[in-house]
Amino acid sequence: MKINWKIWILIIVLMFSLIAIFGIPPKIFKTGVLITSVELNSTSFEQGLRQGQIILEIDGNKINNLEDYTNALKDKYTGEKVKTTFLTNELEVIMFSEKNPNIAVAQLPATNIKTGLDLSGGARALIQAKDQKLSAAETQDLINVVSTRLNVYGIKDMNILPVSDLSGNHYMLIEIAGATPNDLEELIAKQGKFEAKIANETVFIGGNKDVASVCRNDATCAGIETCQKSSDGGYFCNFRFSVYLSDNAANKVYSVAKELEVNVTPQGNHLSEQLELFVEDKFTTGLNIAEIFKERPLTQIAISGSESGKDQPEAFEASEKQMQKLQTILITGSLPYKLEIVKLDTISPTLGKDFINSILFAGLAAILAVSLVIFFRYRKVKSSIALIITSLSEVAIILGVASFINWNLDLPSIAGILAAIGTGIDSQIIILDEAKESTGLSIKQRLKRAFAIILGAYFTALVALLPLLWAGAGLLKGFAITTIIGISVGVLITRPAFTEMVKMIEE
Amino acid sequence: MEQEKKNFHDKYYKILLLIPVALIILSLISMVIFYSNTGDFINKDISLTGGTSATIYEKISPSQIKEDLQDKLLEVNTRAIYDIITREQKAVIIETTTEGEETKEVLEDYLGYKLTSENSSIEFTGSTLSESFYKQLLIAILIAFVFMGIVVFIIFRTFVPSTAVILSAFADILMTLALVNILGMKMSTAGIVAFLMLIGYSVDTDILLTTRILKRQDGSLNKRIFGAFKTGMTMTLTSLFAIVFALVVVKSFSIVLTQIFTILAIGLGFDILNTWITNVSILKWYVEYKEKK
Repeated sequence: MKINWKIWILIIVLMFSLIAIFGIPPKIFKTGVLITSVELNSTSFEQGLRQGQIILEIDGNKINNLEDYTNALKDKYTGEKVKTTFLTNELEVIMFSEKNPNIAVAQLPATNIKTGLDLSGGARALIQAKDQKLSAAETQDLINVVSTRLNVYGIKDMNILPVSDLSGNHYMLIEIAGATPNDLEELIAKQGKFEAKIANETVFIGGNKDVASVCRNDATCAGIETCQKSSDGGYFCNFRFSVYLSDNAANKVYSVAKELEVNVTPQGNHLSEQLELFVEDKFTTGLNIAEIFKERPLTQIAISGSESGKDQPEAFEASEKQMQKLQTILITGSLPYKLEIVKLDTISPTLGKDFINSILFAGLAAILAVSLVIFFRYRKVKSSIALIITSLSEVAIILGVASFINWNLDLPSIAGILAAIGTGIDSQIIILDEAKESTGLSIKQRLKRAFAIILGAYFTALVALLPLLWAGAGLLKGFAITTIIGISVGVLITRPAFTEMVKMIEE
Repeated sequence: MEQEKKNFHDKYYKILLLIPVALIILSLISMVIFYSNTGDFINKDISLTGGTSATIYEKISPSQIKEDLQDKLLEVNTRAIYDIITREQKAVIIETTTEGEETKEVLEDYLGYKLTSENSSIEFTGSTLSESFYKQLLIAILIAFVFMGIVVFIIFRTFVPSTAVILSAFADILMTLALVNILGMKMSTAGIVAFLMLIGYSVDTDILLTTRILKRQDGSLNKRIFGAFKTGMTMTLTSLFAIVFALVVVKSFSIVLTQIFTILAIGLGFDILNTWITNVSILKWYVEYKEKK
């Protein structure tokens, strides 16, 4: 039997889809466990373990699955510091710790299908400027600032993008997979304004225009210097870190500094005015300026400050926190607008797995129902099987395309797949019925007529879905995307192939 | 064309049209009453009014927690989620119009532990955002409907048949909406999406019917109608069966899918009526009128 090229196309597209879904070699055969989150500032994080890495071995023992992972660490930590060696797909990490590493792991995914936040867990925030409408360009500025800020905090597995809706509102959408940082709200919505002034004139502000780089996590140029008892019985700790200014900012400092007098004191000479730091428009520290700033523009400056606490650890922690805060806003600059979180979802991954199972069950139930009706109506095993196979390959192709374009399947997307399959089955029924119409026409002509109806239905469905791509800040976009993929694949690939199958069966 | 004996349908199809007309009028009346009582077209859930939905993975009785939190949170609604197979309670969902942070605090206070992404999910939508969502989804449906209408007119290029298709799609939506309101269902964004799906599904069979009747010459009018009826009913029934089967599975688990499936099932039910009575009668009337001329 000769197989028509339309069927070949279906077979080839199907193969590609399966490859897109399962990968080459199939992911199912890979071993290891996937790190889904690493607590910030933990030993594991400092040693370089990151979300997305795959743990292959612990202490030389192969880790094939979650059970191996649990067993490898189960009786290891008894309160004393012990050495643990992790081998991941990216690096080898040796840790000395008295407790379990602060990481969460999961079974390696078996497919390339990515699920949306509402299924896999994570956080999603939709953010708007308070009391003002932003333009698309302004939203983009905002996104640049916020993404650097989140990066500074070590949040990597995130997606931050502008979205707009039908009424012309622009939003910033932030999606963070996996565990949600507790202070997410503060992180994204705090403005973080920083200004450095000399003699009431702003010489530089936070952000990469004025600040070339800031020394962090490097003991040679940033850290807590001394802790001392204060007169009131508490403690205070001093911190200091280097900041590298842009030439522009350095010139600005020089132009103001060169006009100043020099004060001669026993502790050394410095200029008559201080460098005053303002955070969120509030004065925080005044720093003496060395005489040398009067002579030429200098790009490297040191920022110092101190924080107090009732005992030494508290003072240490407070000044470390203050230093990090200053570093962050110096690097990232202030957010250009006051922000408002208009939607904040933190979704646990717990229910997602069950959900996927329930979808599979529902899908099976639906297929069973469809098969029953089809078989009951046509009493033809071959055509009925062809119909079911076509529909299943349609699901596979939709999932394949979704994996290929990295589309995150969320709930609306899944509803969209169901809608597409439903429409697909409807069209196939039209084809089956038109094929057996007892007219004088040839089978080819009859099927051509079937296609006229199907195309009509296709275009009405297509145009009906278009507004959903924009409505509601795109949160329901998934529905439109998967349905459009599904019905288009249907009209272009699966329906023509099904028509050929019917021809083969009828002839 | 040979003169056939007048059958039941030939005699009464115009009278049959009274059923959908009556239903459309009743639906319109019920919608007017609903609108004057509530000031809106639907009962909105918190995804459209704004508020917080918290899912806590614990076996807490929904009625108990509702009673306990009634005076601490605004407009509390609760329900349980069950495992599909074991039928064991997996979680409780608390919905309130209170803001996200505040709800979280009240719940943590009540439960005595911190809510994290391990033990709970919290979704908060601000009321201004929900309002704009709602408005936009209505606009989306409206645009979708208009677009659909334009495509239908392009396909058939004649006024009465095209209008009949659009009218039956409209009747589907109207009747479904009226019934959903009478049943007291609270509609979410997903529910509105279901109406969008309904447009697609209901037009499918109407296009099939109109194409078979207008663009084909083979067989008598009644024969063509009956042929289309067989195909169309198979289409609708397959969808309906699949949806009802799936609905039974997801009912205890996913509110979103349950709502989509319920609305589709109701809509497809009405679609049978509107395609095979409303649309058929109008078309038959139109064709017979044209043949007489």
